[in-house]
Amino acid sequence: MWIRLFLFLLVLVVTMLVGVVAILMVSGTFTMGLAQSEELVMNDLTYLSTGISDHLGLLSQHAVGFSESLSASIENRLKNQGKSPSHIKYYPELLEDILSEEFERTLSWLLRSNSSGVFVILDATVNPALSYAETSKAGLYIKNMEPNIVNSSTPNIHILRGHPNIARKNMLPLHAQWEMEFDVTDASYFTLPLQASSSTKNLSLSRLYFWTTPVILPGTSEQVMLCSVPLIDSEGNPFGVCGLEISAMLFKLSYAPQNNIYSRAFSVLFCPDDNIIDLSHSLIAGGYSMRNRARNNSHLKIVKGKSSFYSYISDYEDSFLGIHTPVKLYPKDSFFSDQQWMIAIMIPRDDIVNSISRLNIMLFSLLILLLVIGIMISLYLSQRFIKPISQGIDIIKSTGFDDNTSTNIPEIDDLIEFLASQDKKLSQKAVKEPAAPSLLNEFIKNVKTLSPAEKAVFDLYVKGHTAKEIAQILSLSINTIKTHNKRIYMKLNVGSREELLLYINMIKDIGGEFK
Amino acid sequence: MDPKQPVTLTLWHNYGGQMKDTMDQMIDEFNETLGAETGITINVTSISSSSTLHEKITLAVNQDPGAPALPDITTAYPKTAIKLKEKDLLVDLTQYFSDQELSDYILNFIEEGKLDDNGLYVFPTAKSTEVLFVNTTIFDRFAKDTGARLKDLETFEGIMKTAELYYEWSGGKMFYMPDSLFNVAQIGYKQLGSEFFSEGRLNLSSPLFQRIWNNFYKPAVLGHMAVFDGYASDLAKTGDIVCSTGSTAGVVFFPPKVTYPDNTTEAANYAILPYPTFEDGKKIAIQRGGGMCVIKSHKQKEYGASVFLKWFTAPENNLRFVSSTGYMPVTKEAFGEIMTVRIQNLEDESLKKLLQVVRTMQDEYEFYIPPLYDNLDDLEREYVTSFKKIASKSRDLYFELLEEMDSEQAYKTVSDGVMQQFINGFK
Repeated sequence: MWIRLFLFLLVLVVTMLVGVVAILMVSGTFTMGLAQSEELVMNDLTYLSTGISDHLGLLSQHAVGFSESLSASIENRLKNQGKSPSHIKYYPELLEDILSEEFERTLSWLLRSNSSGVFVILDATVNPALSYAETSKAGLYIKNMEPNIVNSSTPNIHILRGHPNIARKNMLPLHAQWEMEFDVTDASYFTLPLQASSSTKNLSLSRLYFWTTPVILPGTSEQVMLCSVPLIDSEGNPFGVCGLEISAMLFKLSYAPQNNIYSRAFSVLFCPDDNIIDLSHSLIAGGYSMRNRARNNSHLKIVKGKSSFYSYISDYEDSFLGIHTPVKLYPKDSFFSDQQWMIAIMIPRDDIVNSISRLNIMLFSLLILLLVIGIMISLYLSQRFIKPISQGIDIIKSTGFDDNTSTNIPEIDDLIEFLASQDKKLSQKAVKEPAAPSLLNEFIKNVKTLSPAEKAVFDLYVKGHTAKEIAQILSLSINTIKTHNKRIYMKLNVGSREELLLYINMIKDIGGEFK
Repeated sequence: MDPKQPVTLTLWHNYGGQMKDTMDQMIDEFNETLGAETGITINVTSISSSSTLHEKITLAVNQDPGAPALPDITTAYPKTAIKLKEKDLLVDLTQYFSDQELSDYILNFIEEGKLDDNGLYVFPTAKSTEVLFVNTTIFDRFAKDTGARLKDLETFEGIMKTAELYYEWSGGKMFYMPDSLFNVAQIGYKQLGSEFFSEGRLNLSSPLFQRIWNNFYKPAVLGHMAVFDGYASDLAKTGDIVCSTGSTAGVVFFPPKVTYPDNTTEAANYAILPYPTFEDGKKIAIQRGGGMCVIKSHKQKEYGASVFLKWFTAPENNLRFVSSTGYMPVTKEAFGEIMTVRIQNLEDESLKKLLQVVRTMQDEYEFYIPPLYDNLDDLEREYVTSFKKIASKSRDLYFELLEEMDSEQAYKTVSDGVMQQFINGFK
């Protein structure tokens, strides 16, 4: 009987668990990891893109301001000497003095901006006679080696380009990769703003600044992104460029994703070209090493996924998941407004898959644990529920319907009491209405059909022993006695032990014997 | 470590400039090989000069407002590491290295990283010493005319005599500059059998100081030696000096060309010679270069840091790093046959020469580790600043006096009582 009860309870447990799984599936719990990741990345991206837009916007403003003040200052200085900035290339002997006198202004724009470098490139060279004079331009490039350091009272300033006397006069070290002049071969930060200002004289400086894609300048090793603004005299003639720099390190320290779940998440600032990201011309920040890929001119292909995540498929046959959003660097009517910039946050696909798998494995483990606990509870409850019933039946079997019989279970005690009263009624009825002699004879006749073992048990009943006592006397188990009882009842055509004893007593009363 | 649950370790280091490229490549290689297998990513979040790094760490240790969070691993000199250890922020790396593993490293380098107890807090990754750099493109021209020899540069006295000769030959140009006047003095004392420090103060009352003072003060006043607030490599870039003593790691800062004020350039070759000695002095040179410290965090990160340090200092990797940065390797094996092969295969002539010299010095020189006084930085700053100030003032006066008296008389006039004045400044 307990097995039936156990199975019943088990069905209940399994049904409930299936219900829970169904609810989890409907509510999207199994895909919640992905949804949470998307939300996390989206929040990070919103924060980063706002920060980058603000930062680069401010740098653009500062670069324009720097250009305006520097252009005016150089023009005034030259005018005082009866010279014009547009002819600056004809005064190589003045270049060191011009740049030296503009050093303080240049440094001050670096220190007031959250940038890692400031530069001035004049369309002139100190030695026009040199074979490479066409691509060698005099200027000044000051680097803040620690733009992110908190204590700005002692900025770590190096001179990357410029006359060494300017560095020595200002007690500043030359950068390890110092050279006197700029090599402007293929230098978009020099040629494009100058071309723009030459071709559109009515545009203001705020529409002429240009952000380079991240590049490694000739003779240097660090990737930088430059905001370059033309230097224009009061008559609209350009004579050089100036601007501010964001180094790869400054970007890395400022714009790494801040989530605590995916430690290898990283951000990428890039100019997409037909859904392709050129890593060698992107700035990257975060806990994943992409430098080798950038160094090897590796690319990422942007592929829209089913969720809000994009896939970024690399040349290395692995991929990243993430989201990107535009970063606005130019006003609508800027000369360079066609240049589109994006910021993306990416995470190695494996990290997301592993994270979601871990979450789901944990959920499944919990469900299996619940199932096991349900089975154990069912087993326990079914056995515990059946136990007193079995005990009660055993008690009834061994002691009969004694008034003193008690199982401590009211329902079973009521049942015993009821059966006892029925038994009593039956006995009284037998006394009042003795059984027909033919029935007794039939009974005596049937006794002879008992096997020897059954007869031995029957005889002990005749002598008034209980089932328990008979088991002890015959050295048999109570189960064996029960088996004999069943056969005895069947052969003697009685329904219970009470009826059997009734017949025995009636036969004894009339002086009958069992042979 | 579980590659499916990777950890990212932040790293601050002071390998800037050209060294940064090498460091970047090493870190990328680690991240893509052993790092990828074990789930460790190294993320460089600061590259600063050692002094700036010291400043940043001090800010962080003192929890000053706006101080940056400490990284998981940082390069540090013992003086910086002590500050971290005082705040119980450093991992004792003996937990992650067996005695057998540590016995593979140069004993002196391990000893320096023990600070004040038996733990290991500054793990040696690359050490340096000082050597003499000579621009042979200029020197050979000068030698051809004057008969000067590189051999003359083996002693400080020889350098100064050659400097005098060069001054005359070049029409008044400087010849030599020590990157660290303080190191020249403290090593000079050791070479000559004495101690520069006495109970936390400078032992300037020793008769030896007169010899050292004369050897540097006079050339500085006469214009033979540069007195300059910066590294000698800056002056070397523009051909303003011919030779200098400085850290082996400075080799990458000496450019392959000299740029002159008219923007013309000249290819420059360099000879690299062992650190000079004072005449009759012992061959002793300074042991420089810090190591890497691991900041306490959680076991997984600390263990990850130890995995990186083992990889970074494995002989093959360590040699690759030092052979492009000018540092000395840190294991005994790396100084052996493997180094010979490496030197043969190097393309950069300066680095090839440097490693050969470093190996010679490892065999022939005794390396001196400066004491760890709290006020050592202050003493050094005061010594150098005071010397430069006095020497510059004397030089200006000397050149003024040359208009009215001869050189010897002018020098005698400006130098009278100056050394005592310098010594008195430390009392």
